[in-house]
Parts: sequence; structure tokens; C-alpha cells
Amino acid sequence: MSAGNGHGGTPQVPAAAAPPGPVGVGRRTLLRLAGAAGAALALPQLAAACGSSDGGGSGSGGASDELRVGLLLELSAVYAVNGQDMRSGFELYLSEHGGQLGGRKVNLTVEDIAGDPAVGVQKATKLLRQERVALASGIVTSSVALAVRDMFDTSKVPLIISNAGANSLTRDRKSRYLFRTSFSNWQPNYSMGQWVYDNVAKDGVYAVAPDYVAGHEQTDAFKEAYTKAGGKLAGEVHPPFATTQDYQPFLSQIRKANPKAVYAFFSGGEAVTFVKQYAEFGLKDSVPLVGPGFTVEGVLEAQGDAALGVRSGLHYTILLDNPTNQRFVAAYRQKFSKDPTVFSVQSYDAAQLIDLALKKTNGDTANQEAVAEALASVGEIDSPRGRFRLDATTHNPVQPFYLREVRKVGDRLGNVKIGDLGELADPG
Amino acid sequence: MLHWLDANFVSLLNGVAVGMLLFTMAVGLSLIFGLMDVLNLAHGAVFMLGSYVAFELVDDGRGFLPAVLVAVVLGAALGVVMAFAVRPLVSRGPLDQALLTLGLAFVLSNLALAVWGTDFHSVRPPPWLDGSVELVGHTYPVYRLAIIVLGLVLAAAVYLVVERTRLGAVIRAAVVDRAMVSALGINVSLLLVGVFAAGVMLAAFGGVVGAPVLNVRPGLDSEVLILALLVVVIGGLGSLRGAFVGALLIGQVQALGVALLPEQSSFLLFGAMALILLARPSGLFGEVSR
Repeated sequence: MSAGNGHGGTPQVPAAAAPPGPVGVGRRTLLRLAGAAGAALALPQLAAACGSSDGGGSGSGGASDELRVGLLLELSAVYAVNGQDMRSGFELYLSEHGGQLGGRKVNLTVEDIAGDPAVGVQKATKLLRQERVALASGIVTSSVALAVRDMFDTSKVPLIISNAGANSLTRDRKSRYLFRTSFSNWQPNYSMGQWVYDNVAKDGVYAVAPDYVAGHEQTDAFKEAYTKAGGKLAGEVHPPFATTQDYQPFLSQIRKANPKAVYAFFSGGEAVTFVKQYAEFGLKDSVPLVGPGFTVEGVLEAQGDAALGVRSGLHYTILLDNPTNQRFVAAYRQKFSKDPTVFSVQSYDAAQLIDLALKKTNGDTANQEAVAEALASVGEIDSPRGRFRLDATTHNPVQPFYLREVRKVGDRLGNVKIGDLGELADPG
Repeated sequence: MLHWLDANFVSLLNGVAVGMLLFTMAVGLSLIFGLMDVLNLAHGAVFMLGSYVAFELVDDGRGFLPAVLVAVVLGAALGVVMAFAVRPLVSRGPLDQALLTLGLAFVLSNLALAVWGTDFHSVRPPPWLDGSVELVGHTYPVYRLAIIVLGLVLAAAVYLVVERTRLGAVIRAAVVDRAMVSALGINVSLLLVGVFAAGVMLAAFGGVVGAPVLNVRPGLDSEVLILALLVVVIGGLGSLRGAFVGALLIGQVQALGVALLPEQSSFLLFGAMALILLARPSGLFGEVSR
């Protein structure tokens, strides 16, 4: 396993941020400095791309030799915490099944894609050309998934996306070799529209999400369902993605609109900052906060009491009381000494999907069409989230959605299921 | 006008708070660059380390003072080490020195990743600074008010030491002519090690202070470094007064500017920098040449 997370969290100083002033040292020196800094920053990625070639090996698989599987994960930058959860989920399934999928010993290659499409393409190339993986999984961010989609499509290597939610990945950009065990951005948000209209506010809901594709898709899907139910938004704002440390200006703008509720999508560290500042600037007590579950998923401990009372829709909560989930949560806690999140589950299920499909092909991955066929037709999957299946044409999960509320559970915070939002398939 | 002030009161006030937070980020960087001509690119990493110290030692808001002390001692020690590490490169010019600090930044941030992993943590302010208050009808977090006060105190203290004490005079003299100061019987290299240690210490200190607002997480190092560089560049490289004014200016751009023009928020920060540098290529308080 050649883990690509050796250079996580390194400072990414764009050359433009280096000082251009001519004081003290000459302008030319500083320009050289900026250039050198840029080059030095690119180095670890180059090193990661060139190094660690543990033998090309024969990828095309008879049923007896090792099964090469690649994981493309965000192990650094904004969504590193989600990438780590996905890695853990996949590894848990493997260790529960003797390191085997479809009866074959798995040789797992983990690559850090850092949420960067360019790095993603580089690492996908490595997996396909050098490692010759039979299947790949992972990917937190949609931009990376969209960037590597064609590579997997043309090389006919199945890619099981275990987070990236861009609607198009299972709509106009869908592929015979593209699968998703997570969600389309449309799903969790559409599931909330009618409920918010019925139970929170008939109008005057303010929507906020970061300014990137997923952020817009999330609020658009909510808006679609909410206005269909008869609701009317009070406004909408999209703070810059990954560069906003302070949401105060946006919170002030929201307050000026005097909304009856705020519908917010954020994830990872941004979710921590937003939810805490929402409370600090006094909105928590006067304006209910609702949203898709990501806003309060895996970050409750860092958000603390600021998250209390947030209601959200998602296809999972760690507190689901089905036996599969209880077993999963216990095993996960024991192995990693931390709680699983929806991201862990999606990746666990990606491993499970591969396992079920390869059992149908008797472990054979030489016939790529047959593998894709098997992945598309495994039927119901017994997941910690409840039972779900992949839609035959879109390859997107058809799954139940739950309404959750952040409450104190013992001395900790948890997303308690307070209702069902029904089973939902992406319209495709 | 009064209505406008009332509507944007929180943004204006927050601009000052963000500015002061930026000043605590940038002051150490500015100090080391101004007095030693070394661009310390490990500044953000040390800041992050300070934040992790706060995460480890602050429990539900208690233990803030010990965290500050530990971070300050750790920062100073790190500063001494860095000063000695940089010293052999002095003759090779600022580029090599900066590259060394960049390498240090990589080491520190990967160390932090290995020790603390990828999780996000938040740090609660001390109980007496926790929560929010009503200010002329607007809710505002108390801790940010404390940051305003702290930033002003810090600025005054640094100004007084550098401009109004004998030590400050000696340091400034050493910057201009090391040989001359050395001839007066003053140990210049020790002096410069002290300056470096102070600058790095301020970074670690800022990390503790900033933790409740910025949260503790991987990637914080690069965010802080970029903002600190921005402040220092706008203010004029090496000018402490410039860092102060630059921080306040960027604070208002980040708060009031974004509140007034939310759609353009991505461009405001670097747009402001471009405008200022077009008008004054060496920054607000930068000397034209030396």
C-alpha cells in the first residue's frame, strides 16, 4: 500500500501572495523567491507522482492473483477529515472480510488527491497506468470526480464514487463504469423541501452555501422542492469556498433580510465555523437553522452546543437503531477509537458493493463489461444506513432519508432521528 | 447616515476585530522581516502549533493562561532554534534563508498532521469571555471584543519596545550597521537571535489567541501565512506601523466590504491589495529603497 498522504496539510502559498515590494531585498530577489516557493510547493506532489511504484504487476485478473483496488481520497486540504473517514470505512470492511473482496486478496493503493482536480487526474493516471487497478473508489469533491470521470470511462475500469455528489455524475455524465454509493446533491436537499414548508416556515427561508458547484446544487435542490410545495425564499447567498474564515458579513446580510429560517449547507471545517458563528452572532436563538445533514455530520464535537437544535435531512445518522448499523458502529469504534460518519458508511458500502459484485463474477475482473454489469445488478445492499439499491440506469443509490435533530445524548451531542423523509431516487 | 451606521454596526466593529486578529498574525512576521531581513515562511506553521497547544491545554475554556505560557515558551525555543538554523545562510542572502523556513514549515505541518490527524477542533474562550453581548441592539461575541483590546495592547507594547527603549534602539542600530554596534561591545548575534525568538514567539502566541475564532485544523498554517503576508505587503515590508494599518484595512475589507458586496467577496481581498500596490508599490508605509 503506497499511502499518498505524506504531504498533507502543507502550506499552499500561491506565488502571487509572496511580497512584491522592493524593500530590503531587491524586487528581482523576491520574484525569484516567489518562484522558488512555488516550485518547492509543487515538489511533494511531483515526488508523490513519481515515487512509490511498487511494481506495475499484472492488473488484468484471473480469479487467483491479488485484486488491485485504488482509493482516491482527500487526505489533505479542506475535506481531509472526510477523506480519512472514507479510508477507515473501506478498511473496516476489508478487515472484517479477511482482506478479501469477491474471494480475492486485495492489494489496496491509497492516493491523496487533496481536493484538486489536477492532482486527481495525476493520481488516477497512476492508478490506471502504473498500478493497473481493477477497480477504484473514493473521491470527496465533485470537481475531482468530474475531472477523472472520462479516464475511468474510456479505460473501462469501474469507479465507485463514495461521496462526490455532483448531480451530473449520475445524470448527463453518467457512465456504464461509474457508480455511486453516496448520494446526488439533489437528494438530501430535495428531501427537506416539503418538510421545511410544512413544519418550519411557509415563506421567508434564507439559503446559504459555499460558492462552488456542490454548494449551488444543494441550495437549488432545496429551492426546487420548497417552491414546489408553495414556499418562497427570502434570499440566497454564497460565500467563497475554502477561503472564508469569517461568516459575519454574510450573517449580517441574512439578519437584514429578517428570515423565518435559514437553510445552510456546509461541510467539514466550514460547517464548524459557520454553525459556531451562527450562534455567536445571535441568530441561533431567533432563527431556526435547517439544512442537509452534512452541516452537522462528523463535526458535532467541534461545533459544541452551537449545533443544538439544528434539524437536517440525510441518509444516515450514527444513532440509527437497525442491527447492521449497531454492529458497524461498534466495530468501527473498536478499530479506530472514533465515531463513524456518513462518509465512513458510504465507503464501507463501496467495499461491500465491490465484494457482492465480484462474488457474482467469481472474483474474475478480466471481463470489464461483466464486472460493470455485476456492479449494476447486485440488488439490495444491507447497509448501516438501512437497505438501499443502485438505480439500474443512473447507478445512483435509491435510499431512505431521515430527519435528524442535534440533541444531547448522554453527555455528548448526537443527530437523533426524529422522522422519516421517505425513500428517494435521483430523477436522473 | 445614522441608519447606515446602525445597519452596518456589526460589520464595522467586526472589521476592527478581524483587523486586530490579523495584526496578531502578522506582527511577528513583520518584526523578523523588518529587523533581520528574513522572510519567515514557517510563521503560519508556528501559529498553527500554537493553536494545537490551545486545543491540548484548554478544556471547556479553562486553562487558557497555561496554554498561553506553554505556547510562548515553545515559540521562543523554536525561534532560537530557527535563528541558529538560519544563521549559516545569512551570507547567501534572503532567498536561501526563506527556503529554509519554508522547509521548516513543511516539517512542522506534517508533524502536526502526524500527531493530531485531520480532525477539526474548536477551542472555547475563557468562561468570562465566552458568549455574546448586546451592543446597541446587536449581538456580538465577547471574545472578539477581547481580541480588539489585546491587539491594541500588543501593538502598543511592540511599538514601545522597538521605538522607545534602549533595547529597541540597539536593535534598530544593529539593523543599520552590525559591525558598528558590535564595535560598541554589544553581542549582535545574540541580539538577533533574541529578535527571531520574539517574532516566532508572537506567532505561537497568536495561535492560542486566534484558536477560538479560527478553529484548530490542518491547513490553518497556509491560510494564516497568506493573510499575514498580505497584511505585511500592504503595510510595507518590515514596517510595524504598516502592519498595524494594513491589518485594520484588510479587516474592514473582509468585514464591511464583504457585507456590502457579498457577490464580489472573492475578489475584494486581492483587489484591495492590487489597488494599494498600484498606488504605492512598496506598501503603505514601505520605504522606497534602502
